[in-house]
Amino acid sequence: MKALIQLFLIFLVIGPAIAQKVPFKKKYINHTELGGLFGRVKYSNGYQESQVDSKASLTMQTFNGVKFSDRLAAGITVGVDWYKTALINPIAAGIRYDLMQDKNARLFATADAGYGFGWFHQDSDGYDTKGGLMLNPGLGVKYGKPTGNAFTITLTYKRQNVHADKPLQWEQTVRYEDRVYNRLALRIGMSF
Amino acid sequence: MKTKLLPLIIVILSCGLWSCNDQCKETRVTRRLTPFTRTLKDIRSAVKAESAHILKRPGKLYTKGKYLFINEIKQGIHVIDNSDPSNPVFVSFISIPGNGDLAVRDNILFADSYTDLVSLDITDPVNVKEVGRVQNVFKNGQFDGSWWSVNAGNGSVWDAEDAAIQDFNVDFVTETITTNCEENSIYPGWGGGVFLAFADMASFSKSAGAAGSASASPNSSGGSSGQAGSMARFALHQNFLYTVSQTSLHLFDVSKPEKPADFSTVEIGRSIETIFPYQNKLFIGSANGMFIYDNANPAKPTQLSVFQHGTACDPVVVANDIAYVTLRTGTNCNGAQNQMDLVDVSNATSPKLITSYQMQNPHGLSIDFPTLYLCEGDNGLKVFDATDKMTIDKNLLAHFKDMDAYDVISLGKTLLLIGKDGFYQYDSSDPKNLRLLSKILVQK
Repeated sequence: MKALIQLFLIFLVIGPAIAQKVPFKKKYINHTELGGLFGRVKYSNGYQESQVDSKASLTMQTFNGVKFSDRLAAGITVGVDWYKTALINPIAAGIRYDLMQDKNARLFATADAGYGFGWFHQDSDGYDTKGGLMLNPGLGVKYGKPTGNAFTITLTYKRQNVHADKPLQWEQTVRYEDRVYNRLALRIGMSF
Repeated sequence: MKTKLLPLIIVILSCGLWSCNDQCKETRVTRRLTPFTRTLKDIRSAVKAESAHILKRPGKLYTKGKYLFINEIKQGIHVIDNSDPSNPVFVSFISIPGNGDLAVRDNILFADSYTDLVSLDITDPVNVKEVGRVQNVFKNGQFDGSWWSVNAGNGSVWDAEDAAIQDFNVDFVTETITTNCEENSIYPGWGGGVFLAFADMASFSKSAGAAGSASASPNSSGGSSGQAGSMARFALHQNFLYTVSQTSLHLFDVSKPEKPADFSTVEIGRSIETIFPYQNKLFIGSANGMFIYDNANPAKPTQLSVFQHGTACDPVVVANDIAYVTLRTGTNCNGAQNQMDLVDVSNATSPKLITSYQMQNPHGLSIDFPTLYLCEGDNGLKVFDATDKMTIDKNLLAHFKDMDAYDVISLGKTLLLIGKDGFYQYDSSDPKNLRLLSKILVQK
C-alpha cells in the first residue's frame, strides 16, 4: 500500500518536471467512467466454518484535470460507489499517466487517492455509517487518436474504508464495524 | 508491447494476492454473567463500616447535609464529606452486599441489601452501626440488567437461614468477528429483537437518571431527609419510606427511623423503574408509562392516572405542574425514540402531553426552574432555559460536550454530575458557565 502511495507522490513530483522539458500547452481533460466493483467476502456465519460470498457494486466517477504534458494529467476525481449497505461519494486527487504515446491504442496508468464520504447514505434505524479513506490505483487502455477523444477500459484495485456503528443486540453495550472494501474495479469510459 | 503489458499483469496478480476480499470486522462488547450463590446468613453478617474505598462502579447519588452518598453497585455506599465542594473527602465505605438504593432521614440511612431493608446509624460515619433490619421484603431485583433471586434449596422455605441468594457477576467481554459487510437489518442476526423490555434499574447507566431538584424537593415534612434523584427507587415522605420493586410499591413505617417496620404493599403494574414524590403525589415511572398516585393519605397511596408512552427508559422530574419525561434508546430499554416529553400534570387525573423535543440520547435530568439540566450520555450535558415550555429546544444556554454525562442533581448553586469516568461538582451560579469545583475519577 505504501508503495502505491509513493508511486502516486512520485507522479505528482515528476509530472511538472517533465512538463518543463517538453514545450507543451496545458489543456483541460475529462475522463468519465462507469463500471463495477467486484470482490468477495469471507466471513464467519456463526459456525466454525467460514462462508464466502461474491460481491458486485456499481461505480461511477468523473475525473476533471489539466494535462501538464503529453503524458501526465492531474486533477480531481469525484464519484459514486453503491456498496450494498453504503452509498459512498469519494472525492480524490487523481492522475492519469500515458505509458505509451502516438498509438491509437495506448496503455495508461491511473491513480486516485482521497476520502469517501457518506453524505448521501441513508442508514437503517440504529446504524450510523461514516466513510473513510479511498485508494484506487490501476491500469487502463485508451482507444482513439492521441489528439482527440478516446474510449477507455480500466482495471484497477479499489480500497475503501467505512466505519459503521450498529444497533445493539442481546446483552451488548458496544457494537461497531470497521469495513475495508477491497475490490477489483472494471470500468469503461470516455476521455476527452 | 509485451513488456508494457507486464504492469497490467502485476495489477491483476496483486489483486489476486489481496484476493479482493472485503474485510469487515465487527467489534462488540457483550455482557457476560457468571452465576454465584451467597447465603443470607453470610450476607446479613457482612454489613459494616470500612475505611474509604476507591470509586469503581458508581451507582445512585444521594445527598444529605454536608454528606454525599454514592452507591457502589452491589457493594455498598461511599460516604463523602462534601462540606467543601471543591475538596470532597472520602470518609468511609459502608459495606452492604446487594445494595442499590438508599435514603437518609435525620441520622438514619436506609439501604436495601438483596432481600432486606437495613437501617444504619450514621451519626459517626466512620463508625456506622446497623440498628434495624426488615427481613425478606424484596423478593428479587436487578443489577446491570441481571436478576438475583432467592434460591431455597434443600427443600427449605425461601427465608430459611440456609437459603441463598442466586446472583450473577457481570463483566464485559470484547470480541471481534468477521462479517459479510452487508448487515443492515434493524434486528440483526440470531436472537434479534429479543431485548429486555425493562430497564436495568440499579445499574450505573440507569441510575443515570437521578434528578433531584430544588424546586421539587422529593422529601417533605416528618424529619429532615436528604435529596435523591428521579431515578431513585426509594423516597421518603412524612412517616413513610416508599420503595418500588418491579411490580409494586412497598411502604415502610419509619416513624421510628431506627426501627423501620414493614407496612403495606401496593400492586402497580410491571417494569416499574422510579419513584418521584412531588407535592402530595407520587410519580412512578415504568418502562411503558408514568403512574400518578395521590398520596394525600401517606399510608394509602391511590392511583389517579396513567400516562402511557412508548416502551423506553424514562427518568421523570416534575416542576411547576409540568412533568419532564425523557425517553431514550439503549441496551435494556427497547426504545426507539430519543426525546423529552413535557406533560401537563396540573390535573393529575388526566395528564396531557404538551409537546415533545427530539434529543440525542437523554439520560438523567434535573430542573432548577427555569434552568433544565439534561444529560445526553456520550454527548455531554445540555443546559436549557425552560421558561417557555413550547420553545425549550430554542433556548439552549450551553452544551458541554467534552464529558460523559449520565446523572445530574442540581442543588441550586452547585451541580452534581456523574458520568462513566467519575463524579464531578460544578458551580452553577451561572448556568451558562459551569465552573468545575472538583472531580473524583473512577479507578479502572
